Amino acid sequence: MRKRNSLIYYVTVFTLAQLAWFSLLALWITWYVTNYIMMTEVGEQVSAEFLAESTNILALIGGLVLLVVISIAMSLIFIYLTKQMNLTKLYDNFIGNVTHELKSPLSSIQLYLETMKSRKVPRSKQDEFLGLMLRDTQRLNHLINSILEISGLEQKKMAYNYDVINAQEISEQLISEAITDYRLPDTAVNWNGNTNCKCVIDQDAFRIVINNLFDNAVKYSSSQIKIDVKFTQNLKYFLMTFCDHGIGIPIKKQDKIFQKFLRIYDRESPSVKGTGLGLYWVREIIKSHGGKISVFSAGRNRGTAFTIELPIYKTAKKRYINYLLKITQKNIGRMETQNGTE
Amino acid sequence: MALNDYSGSRILIVEDEDSLAIGLEFNLSEEGYHVRIASDGKQALKYVEEDSYDLILLDVMLPYMDGFTVAEKIRDKLPQIPILMLTARTAVKDRIRGLEKGADDYLTKPFHLQELLVRIRGMLRRKKWYQTSSALSPVYRFGENEVNFENLTCRSGNKEMKLTAREAMFLRYLIDNAGRVISRKEILEKVWNLDSEVETRTIDNFVVRLRKFFEPDPSNPVYIKSVRSIGYQFEVNDISSV
Repeated sequence: MRKRNSLIYYVTVFTLAQLAWFSLLALWITWYVTNYIMMTEVGEQVSAEFLAESTNILALIGGLVLLVVISIAMSLIFIYLTKQMNLTKLYDNFIGNVTHELKSPLSSIQLYLETMKSRKVPRSKQDEFLGLMLRDTQRLNHLINSILEISGLEQKKMAYNYDVINAQEISEQLISEAITDYRLPDTAVNWNGNTNCKCVIDQDAFRIVINNLFDNAVKYSSSQIKIDVKFTQNLKYFLMTFCDHGIGIPIKKQDKIFQKFLRIYDRESPSVKGTGLGLYWVREIIKSHGGKISVFSAGRNRGTAFTIELPIYKTAKKRYINYLLKITQKNIGRMETQNGTE
Repeated sequence: MALNDYSGSRILIVEDEDSLAIGLEFNLSEEGYHVRIASDGKQALKYVEEDSYDLILLDVMLPYMDGFTVAEKIRDKLPQIPILMLTARTAVKDRIRGLEKGADDYLTKPFHLQELLVRIRGMLRRKKWYQTSSALSPVYRFGENEVNFENLTCRSGNKEMKLTAREAMFLRYLIDNAGRVISRKEILEKVWNLDSEVETRTIDNFVVRLRKFFEPDPSNPVYIKSVRSIGYQFEVNDISSV
C-alpha cells in the first residue's frame, strides 16, 4: 500500500482475477458441453433413461448463477476497498496536519517555558509570553475537543440537547458571539432577512457550525474580512446563506470539501492551518439536525457561499424531529437520575 | 546567558506562527543577533533579496509556498547561506527531502531552546570557517580538476558541475586536511554538525558523487581514498591554489 501506483496494481490484480474467473467458466462450459454430447451418444447405446435426468442442466444453471453472484460480490468488495484506500490516503494527510497543529502550539509553549527558566525576562515580556502560552493551550484544547467530539458524533454517542427555538434569533446570537471571539469589527458582518420560524436546534452544536464557518471565512480571506448573512424561509425549511468574500473554491473541488480529512492544497491558498475536519464536522451536525448544507463559489477570489437548510418544526420531517426531541428528553432524564443518585 | 562570538550576525526567521516567531525573536535578540521575521515564503524571498543574512531559520509548513520550495529558491541565489529548518514532521523522508532541498540542518518541533542556540552557533561557526578558508584560496586545482569555492562551481576536463553547499563544505574539509585520515565521525561532526547517531552512509553517498565527477576512474580513486573501517583521506601531490 505504500507504493504510489498501488491502486493501479490492485486494479490489475482484480482484472486478472476476473479474467481468470471467466476463463474458468468458459472452460467449464466447453467441458460440460463436450461431455454432454459424448454422453448423449454413448447413453443412447447404453440406456435411454440415462438421458432423461434434467438435474445436470439445473446444476449448470445453478452453478452459473452462483458464479455471477460471487463475481458481483467481488466487485462490490473491490469498490469498497478502493474507497477505503482513498480514505487511508486522506487519513495520512490528516495525521500530518494534526501533528503540525499539535506540535506548533506545543513547541511555542515549550520555548516560552525554557526561556523563562533560563533567562531574566522583564515583567512586561513575561505577561506577553503568558498570554501567548494561554492562547496556545486554548488552541490545543480546541483541536483535541474537535477530534473527540467528531468521533462521538460518528458513533452517535453525543449528549444531544435539542430544543425548539427561533432559528434566526439563535443564529444572530451565535454570530454576535463569533464576531467577538474572532475580534472582528462590527462592520465585518452584514445580515438581513426577516424570518419567523422555529426549528429543532442543539445550540452547542450549532455554535460549532457558526464558528467553523467564521473560521473558514477568516482563514481564507486574503484582505479585509467581509461576511454577508441572509436569512430566508420557504414552506418547509429555514435557510441561512453565509457568504464570505475570500479566495473562493475552485468549481471542480466544491463537491469534495465536506469530505472527512479533505483539504485543498493550492499554490494560491494563503493558509496551511487546519485538519480537514471543520466542514465535515459542520455537515455532520447539520445532517443530524435533519438539514442540509451546500456550497457555491463562482471561482477564484470570488468568495464562497454556504447555504444551510433546517427543517421547520411541525412542518417538515416530523418523525425525525420528534425523534430528536425524544432522545434529548431521554438524555435529560438520564442526567437527572444520575444527579439524583449522587 | 552571555553574548556569544557571533553576536551581531543577522538572522532571518521565516515562521507563520506568530507566537513561536515572537519567542524565537526574543531569544535570538538576547543572544546578540539581529533578527527579522518573515511570516510567509513570499515575504522571506523578498527580504532575502533586499538584505543580506548570515543564517535563515526556516519553518516547513508555510502559507503560499512551503519551506522546501523557499529553501530551494534561496539556494539558487545564495548557495552558501546556512539554512536551519524547523518542522513538525519527523518522518525520515521529510528530513532527507529538507537536506536535499538545501537545508543545512534540521530541528523537529518541539525543540529545546539550548539545542537550537547551539546549532545556530555551530552553523555560524562553520560558515565563518568556510568563508575564511575559501577567502584565502577560493580556487583549487588538482589533476584535471578545478573547484571554485566562491561560486560553488567545479570543472573536470570539459565537464562542469555545480556543488551544493554541503558538498563544497565537505570537499573543503577534505582539502584542508589533505594527507590526514579523517574518520566518518569527525566528518559528521565538523561538516554536518551532527552526532554519529546518523547513518554514516550519508557521507559515503556524497563521496560516490564527488568521485564520479573528479576521479579519472571512480572505482580506483586516486584523490578521495577510502581508509578501511575508518573513513577517508584526500591525497594529492600537485595541489595548486590560485
